Amino acid sequence: MTILRARNIRKRFGGVVALEQGDLALGAGEVHVLIGSNGCGKSTLCKIIGGSVAPDGGSLELSSEPVRFRTPHAAAAAGIGVFYQELSLIPQLTVAENIFLGREPRTAYGLVDRKRLRSDAETAIRPFGAVVGQGFGPDVLVSDLSADQRQIVEILKVLSENSRIVIFDEATASLDSKQVAVFFDLIRSLKAEDHAIIFISHRMDEVFAIGDRVTVMRNGRTVVSVAIAETTQDEIVAHMVGGAYIAAADRKEAPAPLTGTAVLAARNLVGRKLADVSFSLQRGEILGLGGLHGQGQSDLLRSLFGAESLAGGSVFLDGKPLLLRKPSDAIANGIAYISGDRSRYGVLPIRSIFENLVIGLVSKQRPVGLNYGALVKRIAPVAERLKLKFPSFAAPVSDLSGGNQQKVVIGRWLAVAPAVLLLDDPTKGIDLQTKHDLYVILRELCAEGVSIILYSSEDKELLGNADRILVFNGGRIVRELEGERMGEFELYQAAYAAS
Amino acid sequence: MAQTAQFNGSVTTLRGLATRPLTLALAAIAAMLIVGELLSPGFAAPSQIISQLTIAALLGIVAAGQNLVILGGREGIDLSVGGMISLGALVAGNVMQAENAAIPLALAVTLAVTFTLGLANGFGVTIMRIPPLVMTLGMYGVIQGALVVLTRGIPSGRAAPLLNDFVTNPVLLGIPGILFVWVMIGIGMTVFLRRTAFGLKIFAIGTNEEAAALAGISVRRTRVILFGLSGMFAGLTGFLVLGYTGNVFVGVGDQYILPSIIAVVIGGTSLAGGTGGYIGTMAGAVVLVLLQSILTTLNIDPSGRQIVFGATLLGLMLLYGRQRKLRM
Repeated sequence: MTILRARNIRKRFGGVVALEQGDLALGAGEVHVLIGSNGCGKSTLCKIIGGSVAPDGGSLELSSEPVRFRTPHAAAAAGIGVFYQELSLIPQLTVAENIFLGREPRTAYGLVDRKRLRSDAETAIRPFGAVVGQGFGPDVLVSDLSADQRQIVEILKVLSENSRIVIFDEATASLDSKQVAVFFDLIRSLKAEDHAIIFISHRMDEVFAIGDRVTVMRNGRTVVSVAIAETTQDEIVAHMVGGAYIAAADRKEAPAPLTGTAVLAARNLVGRKLADVSFSLQRGEILGLGGLHGQGQSDLLRSLFGAESLAGGSVFLDGKPLLLRKPSDAIANGIAYISGDRSRYGVLPIRSIFENLVIGLVSKQRPVGLNYGALVKRIAPVAERLKLKFPSFAAPVSDLSGGNQQKVVIGRWLAVAPAVLLLDDPTKGIDLQTKHDLYVILRELCAEGVSIILYSSEDKELLGNADRILVFNGGRIVRELEGERMGEFELYQAAYAAS
Repeated sequence: MAQTAQFNGSVTTLRGLATRPLTLALAAIAAMLIVGELLSPGFAAPSQIISQLTIAALLGIVAAGQNLVILGGREGIDLSVGGMISLGALVAGNVMQAENAAIPLALAVTLAVTFTLGLANGFGVTIMRIPPLVMTLGMYGVIQGALVVLTRGIPSGRAAPLLNDFVTNPVLLGIPGILFVWVMIGIGMTVFLRRTAFGLKIFAIGTNEEAAALAGISVRRTRVILFGLSGMFAGLTGFLVLGYTGNVFVGVGDQYILPSIIAVVIGGTSLAGGTGGYIGTMAGAVVLVLLQSILTTLNIDPSGRQIVFGATLLGLMLLYGRQRKLRM
């Protein structure tokens, strides 16, 4: 029996189409897995069902009745509960207060019945009792909890609403396997009571462990919907990638000649989001970092630049150990870092293009006079190479388009002439022409002996530019793709494999 | 694209605003001289102007330090300058004890003490992460309290005659020495901000601290030095105030706290940091001194002046408040 049906849902954000044709048929007593790569539209579809985003078109039917939710509250009233990927907990309140926020048991006088609040919370927590770890209880402040404990509170909060339909958007991201097992038991008992569950996860093993049916989305469209029992992991990946994927053999650029000398080597790096990462970077190579978003790729790059601290492991530059405590340590050794998040980590707004270009050159200079002529001589060729379009060096950088602003940030580091370039999703949100210009420059730099590590959230960018790809999952390198094994299919397969 | 165009449009007006304060300040100065002359003939006489500039120089020099701290961003502000000025004046007066020969030593000790206390402000703000407003207000309280205990509220220390002459009497072309000092500070500050690596770093941390850190700038060290310099400029002001008044009492610096901030804002430096300069601040100091003079001419008592000053600051904030929205 279909309890919820979404047909032809459309949604654009500004000029970006997030959802072109979202279809979903959810049956009662069913765990329905929604899967697809970053930006395929699955989260948008869930937000529309949960009432936090209004659709541009399409229809939504609940028990065959057309519905339209204007607020999350309206959706909740209709029996739809949502686990939000960006946790909705209030850190200053206790576990019990968070679980029953807005639905606290009341006394006869209308005040909060703290005794019942506590006992209800204890009952709710009980299933997780053995696996939740230390320092957890109804009276503990959420701000004192670890990431996995917070995720459990969020799960309990959604479950306590006892909704007919529950959406879990990446609810298992921080949980360990024992916690996931308890969570799955709870989902199974929901199922037994005829509740319907939409389950989003990037872990393929979980999809097969808990799912009854899977709907695959790609580029804002629902591609296929099949019973889990009738499909395989490879088939799902093939649907996610689509027919026109870049096969390993299709890559046009020949790999750069490797001289066989490791410029940068990392041994057993451990950090906040890194678990035992080892690799080496050859001279003149573009080493790609792949995998799902947020699996430690950015953290690795920032650690190699000294912007994030490492808990263990060692980094070698030209065979010599390198101590990276702050960015200037990396800069002094010819390492540069460029982030795609230019408004946060790149441009100095209001200041001039000139200042934005030279700040990397002068950051370590003693507080003496600046030789403007010499600085212009350093940055003018860089600006030309980047085909930077600008009115004058004195104009504020904020006058430029996004793509040109990013070129300025890139130019800042090209002016320093680094030996190693760390690129952290460098083309995020910039136009195609600028992207293409940048790719050409990357190849030229490699030919000049610069070594590059490139992380990109766009798989095509990675496959089109990297000589090798290290696939990350949960802070580890789970696979290395090279040569004819380096295609879009292989990349997806590695990224979605069980961690 | 429409969004980009709109953004660019507002930046153009922002640039307009940033260049306009100096023009506005100069226009205000001219207008006030005319109004003052009409209200009380002789207001714009050369000798009067020079004595007004002398008072403006005292304000302008403490505002130089304030300017640096504000440019460094992250809510940078130094409320301890009032205490630093009083402390500087008392230290200088007690070291020199009316002896001309002790002037260099007095200057060195004053600057060293106030620079050190300024660095302490900087450490509080960066290492201990205390908001600048709270840190410097606390420092002001500590200094002020300590001075009351040490002097028992009695004026103490005396200026050397030579210092007195230097500040109040003409030394060259009918102009007192303090004005030459101020002009040199003006040139020095401008060169420092526009033509040195350190100046560029100040603007960088003031506009985008995270990007500045990733460009290899030691953000903390830079900010600590800014607070140190602010303390030192306030100490220098105290030293000159001693020369101006002959002897000093606890609390002589209090009257400079609010005006030093207003002068910076009038001059076009954004309270959000990252944009502005010292020439505007100098003009701002002159504007405030002339304004005060006109209010005195009009027989408006000190509390009335306080109201006008406070309202001026709030009015300017309303005018320039849009700048903040444009960030990020």
